[in-house]
Amino acid sequence: MSQDKSLVQIALYAALIAAMGLIPPIPFVTGIPITVQTLGVMLAGVMLGPWRGALSMALFIFVVALGAPLLSGGRGGLGVFMGPTAGFAIGFPFAAFAAGYMAILLRRLPIFPATLLAAIFGGIVVLYLFGITGFKIISGREWLDAASVMAVFIPGDLVKAVIAASVAQAVAKGLPDAILTRKG
Amino acid sequence: MHLDNIIRFDKVNLLRSQTKVLNDLSFSLSEKRVGIIGHNGSGKSSLVRLINGLLQPNSGNILVHGKNPSAGPQKMSADVGFIFQNPDHQIIFPTVEEELSFGLINQGYSKQQAQEKALGILVEHQRSDWAPKAIHSLSDGQKQLVCILAVLVMEPKVLILDEPFSALDLITRYQLLNLLDTLPQQVVMISHELETLENFDRILWLEGGKIFQDGTPAEVLPEYYASARKFRS
Amino acid sequence: MISLYMAHPSWLHRLPAGYKLLGLMLLSILLYPVANLVLMALMFLLTLILYASVGKPAIRQLILLKPLAPLFLLIFLMQSWSVGWLSASLLVLRMLVLILLANLITLTTRMDDMMAAIAPMFAPLKLFNIDPKRIAFAVTLLIRFVPVLMAVIQHLMEAWRARGGKRQVWKLAIPLTIQSIRLSDHVAEALAARGGISTISNPRVSNHESR
Repeated sequence: MSQDKSLVQIALYAALIAAMGLIPPIPFVTGIPITVQTLGVMLAGVMLGPWRGALSMALFIFVVALGAPLLSGGRGGLGVFMGPTAGFAIGFPFAAFAAGYMAILLRRLPIFPATLLAAIFGGIVVLYLFGITGFKIISGREWLDAASVMAVFIPGDLVKAVIAASVAQAVAKGLPDAILTRKG
Repeated sequence: MHLDNIIRFDKVNLLRSQTKVLNDLSFSLSEKRVGIIGHNGSGKSSLVRLINGLLQPNSGNILVHGKNPSAGPQKMSADVGFIFQNPDHQIIFPTVEEELSFGLINQGYSKQQAQEKALGILVEHQRSDWAPKAIHSLSDGQKQLVCILAVLVMEPKVLILDEPFSALDLITRYQLLNLLDTLPQQVVMISHELETLENFDRILWLEGGKIFQDGTPAEVLPEYYASARKFRS
Repeated sequence: MISLYMAHPSWLHRLPAGYKLLGLMLLSILLYPVANLVLMALMFLLTLILYASVGKPAIRQLILLKPLAPLFLLIFLMQSWSVGWLSASLLVLRMLVLILLANLITLTTRMDDMMAAIAPMFAPLKLFNIDPKRIAFAVTLLIRFVPVLMAVIQHLMEAWRARGGKRQVWKLAIPLTIQSIRLSDHVAEALAARGGISTISNPRVSNHESR
């Protein structure tokens, strides 16, 4: 694939994540609304693969830092990186990388379980590692405390991993070439 | 006939995942205005993409105003301008001025030269106030005009339009047609709106990757219309 | 439309972006050891005065903090429960000060200025043969296509509601993703048709001089 095409894909996935911030948050059983945006992080990794996925998320976070209000709820600007959820934002590229890497490792499995596990690994395990670390640094809490505050979001994110896998499955039917982690 | 201003296809074949999209196509276009018609899936879009190298044939030769599109779209972009169906798919920059300058910078102009030329073509088309405008504030017709100007400013020899009017209202359509009438370029246009092709010099009717009919609009368009009309009960 | 930047000139607008960023960085380090509540409250007050000095539109931007309020409350409650209200107040105030100041930089700095201030950070990328200009181009593409995809989402949601859809809005993620993949194919094609992103040191194409 040409370099230009990769660049367009990277930028368009970043734009997709931004647009997903517009889908109204889904009120989940725990009472904490979950945004669709981290779904995009999982998708970027699973669809574009580790490097392009990470680059597209890095681009997204970079433009947020430049002042574009692209995080869900219209948040943006440098303030995001000073807030309690800064770790999550910074973790986006790493989460996408991990999801993409895992998707390649599991590419012999059927698409649904492969992308589900990849999305859980990148979008939950790795992303929360960053999110909890960030929360701990900024709030000065202990590890266990910080983790328990963030744990309320996990059920919602599990749902998102399932959604990411069903999106990947649907795309695989219509546009199989678009899932770069399952080529070759 | 001078080789420098014709588009020539010689036994061109194009495959896409085992199926033949274009089948042993040969023709030579010297007319200023060429229309391409045909039902969906007849190979129209593939044909025009071969002209600027976006697609490469599996066999056969193509020569466009003396140049071989096998050099790739990047090399062809100076000679062949391409207008796509949906302006939102081709406008890359947030403002009109940046959009118009882009191709020029690719051609090697400095940023300042490019901006001057961009402003020049806007003035020429009575749109001098557009330069700083945000693309998303324009209507669909205005966006399509930006696309056309962005290509014209590069001074290509051939202008290809792939169903450029699909999303436009009738008035905008006529206005853009008036603009096309004045252009010195060779124009190759795909259109499902047969009316827009009435003043053209030649019409190719494609069917199953082959030329089904080839002639003047007066010869080809009524037959095409009749062939489709049969399906309306 | 897509930036929080305020086109309302103020003294802070005129300060170079690099200085503002450096200032924020220093302050974020300096504020950490501050354990005096009065001092911290003073800093918070100072921040609000800073907003006021920039003008009314800046003050209106303080609303942006609203979505964060529940989380702040949660942090405050947990922190006062485990280590006392004093350190809880210190913590929340410190966070507010830093978020507000960072946001103020965003409000008063044009995107391209911010980009120019941050660009030197990309210099190491040259080692990996990545041209910083490609990054600038990617940013441009992103900014251009966010409104396009947002329009796609709006259309999808309208169509969804028009057919009585209520639950499972997330299903829209499927057509949205498919449409953005298609869009990215089209854009790549249109880009190639206009000569690609080789915006650097391309030799002038000959036919332009000869015409």
